[in-house]
Amino acid sequence: MFHGSGLFALLLIVLEWTRPGLSSPLRPICDLRVLDHFIKEAWDAEAAMRACKDACSIATNFTVPLTRVDFDVWEAMNIEERAQEVQSGLHVLNEAISSLQASNQTDVLQSHIDASISNIASIRQVLRSLSIPEYVPPTSGGEDKEMQIVSSISELFQVHINFLRGKVRLLLANAPVCHQGVS
Amino acid sequence: MTKMSDRLKIVFMLCVAFVTTGGQHFESKVAQLLQDETEDIKCFVELKDLTCFWEEEEERNDLQYTFTYSYENKNKMACVVSSLSLLASNKTVFFCKLPKTPFFTTLDVQVFRDGRMLYSRSLNAENYLFLDPPRNLTVLSSGKEGQLNVSWLPPLLKYMDDSMIYEVRYAVEGSNMGKVEVIKVSTMLVLLGLQSDTRYKVWVRVKPDGVAYKGYWSAWTEPVLGVTQPSDLDPLIMVLVLFIGLILCLLSMTVILSHHKFLLKKLWPDIPTPEHKFPGLFTVYKGDFKEWMSQNNSSMWGRSVQVYTEELPSPLEVLSEVSLTSHGTSQREERKPVEEDEEKESERSDSGLTDRWREPPQAHWLMEQLRALQENPQSLSQSLLVQSHDTYVTLNQNSQGDGEREVDDVFEETLPLQTLFTTTGTTSLSTSHSDLGSLQQSSGSGRLSSQSSFEYPNQTWPPKGPGYTYMAVADSGVSMDYSPMSSSRITELGRHRMYTNDYKNEIFLHKWPLFGEHNKSGSESCMGPVW
Repeated sequence: MFHGSGLFALLLIVLEWTRPGLSSPLRPICDLRVLDHFIKEAWDAEAAMRACKDACSIATNFTVPLTRVDFDVWEAMNIEERAQEVQSGLHVLNEAISSLQASNQTDVLQSHIDASISNIASIRQVLRSLSIPEYVPPTSGGEDKEMQIVSSISELFQVHINFLRGKVRLLLANAPVCHQGVS
Repeated sequence: MTKMSDRLKIVFMLCVAFVTTGGQHFESKVAQLLQDETEDIKCFVELKDLTCFWEEEEERNDLQYTFTYSYENKNKMACVVSSLSLLASNKTVFFCKLPKTPFFTTLDVQVFRDGRMLYSRSLNAENYLFLDPPRNLTVLSSGKEGQLNVSWLPPLLKYMDDSMIYEVRYAVEGSNMGKVEVIKVSTMLVLLGLQSDTRYKVWVRVKPDGVAYKGYWSAWTEPVLGVTQPSDLDPLIMVLVLFIGLILCLLSMTVILSHHKFLLKKLWPDIPTPEHKFPGLFTVYKGDFKEWMSQNNSSMWGRSVQVYTEELPSPLEVLSEVSLTSHGTSQREERKPVEEDEEKESERSDSGLTDRWREPPQAHWLMEQLRALQENPQSLSQSLLVQSHDTYVTLNQNSQGDGEREVDDVFEETLPLQTLFTTTGTTSLSTSHSDLGSLQQSSGSGRLSSQSSFEYPNQTWPPKGPGYTYMAVADSGVSMDYSPMSSSRITELGRHRMYTNDYKNEIFLHKWPLFGEHNKSGSESCMGPVW
């Protein structure tokens, strides 16, 4: 009996010690200059893609998120809704831009594509540091977020920059974690 | 009731004021964009309301226009067109305001007139923000000199506080030359490098920074005046600096004046001349030594004896013999200082004379003279005088042995220089050499040797000069006479003599006082004979 309870205690201790490690909470990145840096790089990519029109045409269509922000509507949304909208949009964008990596592009364009993908990953890390909920794929019964279809790479990168400037930035600017203690 | 009506009136007035100010802003923006924007249909966003306007020259009714817009290629919507008359430029614009414009999406606008499309444009609203100027601009003088503290409030806009960039313009009041400072996000600035005690005008304007939002520069604020701090310490410091500088100048002047001779001597040293030894030679006689000598003989002799008593050795006079055969090589000797413990005075004659004078009978005569001198010293001068007319002392030229040295040559300034000149033809010198004090005598040989080794090369004539009387006494070694006059003598005579004028011999040092007297007498006596 005694051995049993001792073993149980020991097991609890071991499990506690080796519990599946959730990543330790990151320090919140509230400075918007981090996101502004990514936005500047996205501007460069959009300008580069806009310049090449003939070489960058691709037959396939891309599914991209909506970038429109109605301030009334936005202000009416709560943090979870905003987070969901942003995370799903980032997810969709990431898929669309990643599909470009396989296609043959010039080195300059390829560098922009790679930078955009890494920046989206970094933005996800920033959101995680702000304790913003992760992307949850919609269940079979749930509504899917509205998306739009674009047919050119320049349009894709226009959507990319507008999404970062708009919804993502608004979400970060008003993250609850950053405004704690501020009246 | 009255209170309520009053309140209503106040509220109404405020609303009107707000609208008018807003209208003023709107008008000014429209006016500014009319000038700057190149597009036909100009759009800007003011407080999240998008306004698109166009200018029409002809007189038109605003009802003729149809304004349609659509977002993301969706269903088109219509907007009511309004007209506005600009008072400043007397122009009429037609505009349409879209309230609560969505951002980050594409907007397509079209203007139709009478069924025909006039203008069409596709834009993103967040790229055409036209902000109001900053509010509450204040300029304060900071505590330091040449600085001004400028601060303001950003325009009222949500979500955009941290993406604004400001431009501060400042200029001296009345001047058109202004400087511009750009500052991001922060709403205060310290202007540096300003003139002190000057009035400055400051303006500020704002614009989205271009990262998240883009737009036009706002209008400049109304200028605000600020005065920089006057420089308090400058006059005092200047006065102090001047004062100290004046004192330093006076001190330096005093020092320079008090030591100006010394400084002059250091900076511009005098070239030494023998002027002081030959008074009047250069000034009166213009370098003619003969003339000068003839004029200054007596005075010079008397003076020089006293002057050079300490410097010069005992005089050694040797008078050259005119003819040996006539008088049987009569010799003449001069006294010279002899050391006191010597009982006999030794007479030496320079053996620089030629060989022909070396004859034993002369030595014998010498000894006789010595004895005579010892017995009657005072008669020396007379005897010398008598003898000076006829004979001169010839010096024994033998230089034998180690210890025995013959006479040294002594140059005295009292040499009869005129006789020198007159007898240039003769090989023998008219100068007289007085033998240096010889300490020992060797009566047998007739040579008088001295303990101090006098050495001189054979058959050399000691150089003599009127300005020098010195003892060529040397313990050892040979010295060269470097005196200018004596060297001239040497060249003139054609003979050189090496001798030492080193007065290390103590024997003669205390003979100077005595020597002076002897020298005098001797010199005077020497003046007698004329070649």
